[in-house]
Amino acid sequence: MTGGLIVRGVTKEFPSRRRRPPVTALDGIDLHVDEGEIVCIVGASGCGKSTLLNIVGGLDTATDGDVLVGGDRVVGPGPDRGMVFQGYSLYPWKDVAANVAFGLQCARTPRAQAKARVEELLGIMQLSDVAHLRPGQLSGGMRQRVAIARALAPQPDLLLLDEPFGALDAQTRRSMHEFLLHVRHSTQCTVLMVTHDVAEAIYLSNRIYVLSARPGRVAAEIEVPFSNSRGPNTQRDPRFLDLRDEIEDLLHGRAVA
Amino acid sequence: MPETVSPPTADAEPAADLPAAEPAPSGEPLLPTGTRGRRHHPLTTVRGELSPGTSLGLGVAGVVVLLGGWAVLAAMTDTYLIPSPAEAWRAAMELKADGRLWDDLTASLRRIGIGYAISMAIAIVVGPLMASFRSVESFVEPQIGLLRYIPASALTPLFLLWLGIDEAPKIALITVGTVFFNILMTADVARAVPQELVNAAYTMGAGRFTVIRRVILPHSAPGIIDVARINLAAAWLMLVVSELLAAQEGLAFRVVRAQRFRDVDTMFAIFIVFAVIGMVSDLGLRWLRKAAFPWSEGSR
Ligand SMILES: Nc1ncnc2c1ncn2[C@@H]1O[C@H](COP(=O)(O)OP(=O)(O)OP(=O)(O)O)[C@@H](O)[C@H]1O
Ligand SMILES: [Mg+2]
Repeated sequence: MTGGLIVRGVTKEFPSRRRRPPVTALDGIDLHVDEGEIVCIVGASGCGKSTLLNIVGGLDTATDGDVLVGGDRVVGPGPDRGMVFQGYSLYPWKDVAANVAFGLQCARTPRAQAKARVEELLGIMQLSDVAHLRPGQLSGGMRQRVAIARALAPQPDLLLLDEPFGALDAQTRRSMHEFLLHVRHSTQCTVLMVTHDVAEAIYLSNRIYVLSARPGRVAAEIEVPFSNSRGPNTQRDPRFLDLRDEIEDLLHGRAVA
Repeated sequence: MPETVSPPTADAEPAADLPAAEPAPSGEPLLPTGTRGRRHHPLTTVRGELSPGTSLGLGVAGVVVLLGGWAVLAAMTDTYLIPSPAEAWRAAMELKADGRLWDDLTASLRRIGIGYAISMAIAIVVGPLMASFRSVESFVEPQIGLLRYIPASALTPLFLLWLGIDEAPKIALITVGTVFFNILMTADVARAVPQELVNAAYTMGAGRFTVIRRVILPHSAPGIIDVARINLAAAWLMLVVSELLAAQEGLAFRVVRAQRFRDVDTMFAIFIVFAVIGMVSDLGLRWLRKAAFPWSEGSR
């Protein structure tokens, strides 16, 4: 296993267009995710969360700064950093099993081995029953489970999730949280997740980075005091509620009381 | 005066217990006092849903009206200018009986088949490359922008000079007359592939050509069939141009030939053949899209 993620002074400026001034989406972001950790980024809409995740994924380039994964500089996308996107990004012409197998085919995994791995992932995600349906025939929660399974298939060092549950209703979202904790437990993968749901961030992560809006800067880094044993009671813990209030205040620009 | 409107009791008490306030006969369901909203007949509703039977019936009725109009027009004019449907049918049967129809049909279909296949093959390679690489796009787009405004029919004499009078210039004309439109439209289809699908492939370890082959092309396939279907009409246009000049057989050749004998019956017979082939190929491609790409939006 390789080490975690280090983001050093990442700045992203989108060039000016049609006489409009350039947009600074991110301004000197410093953060790190240690191996085996799950870290969330919260921030208002438009503060550059997706941009940051795309830079870590190698899909976009930073104007300034470095991204290191396991000590190597990120210069482009690769199967070592699996990604789940904000919108649905499944291949509509492939069934669930073929979607999950995509990364394995890219890696030229032998057929039998790939099949076993796909079956294993579908089992973890409770998707075995729908293995032969196409994405268009699935519910929103199932689709995101497929997207996560697909991103995990090539066994990435780092899993990047961009508001993966943003489009789901509260109940489905809650069951997806259990799925994610379960997956993390069984694969021990390192996760960096973007969300704008503060409770979700606290419930799932070891640490939280709060980004300020326009340009995105790290406004706070917050340790989440709960161990990896989380359950339904966690959300009623007074520390949970205090933490939530603290982060909400940061997000809305109020001074912490 | 809201009281006068609220039926059936004019009780203006707002907090009135509704079931109790209604003097409805015990056990009997409440009778509606009027209607709300408007609904039109499906035939006249904007985006109304028709049953397949009704759609088909309307379609058939349309064709019958078309044929009826033709028959009326034929009855009103000189038969040397417009034949009746029956006369055109008779001419078609005659052509069929002596084998000329078959020869013309196969000759024309062969030219279209080869010429258009070459055109689509070029488009399927160049279009997605243009959509995928800015460099290719910047390099190719101005060339096509210029070339496509040279009317392909104007190139006919040149092709005859270069390629002789056999099949080659006819096939070339069909290819050249359609290829630029096919390339540009195929490129548009390939550009419409959502960026996230491409990005997802990269994060799963796909290389550039894997992305083109396994994401961009499969996603574009239904759209490419639509492009082929739409531009097929242009291919027929070029076929006619090519057969007008130098041909010994072919559907358009038969029309020109018939003109020499003032044989409008045969002309109309061939027109019908054109129309039917066009419609059959259109329906065939639609069916192919639906059967091969059931996941695609436009296939439903
Ligand atoms: N290609 C681009 N060109 C110019 N500006 C861009 C581009 N992409 C993003 N931006 C700008 O950068 C900022 C950050 O965008 P980003 O999508 O990263 O926000 P986000 O935090 O993910 O928002 P959301 O929570 O709504 O998903 C926005 O102000 C956006 O307008
Ligand atoms: Mg976003």
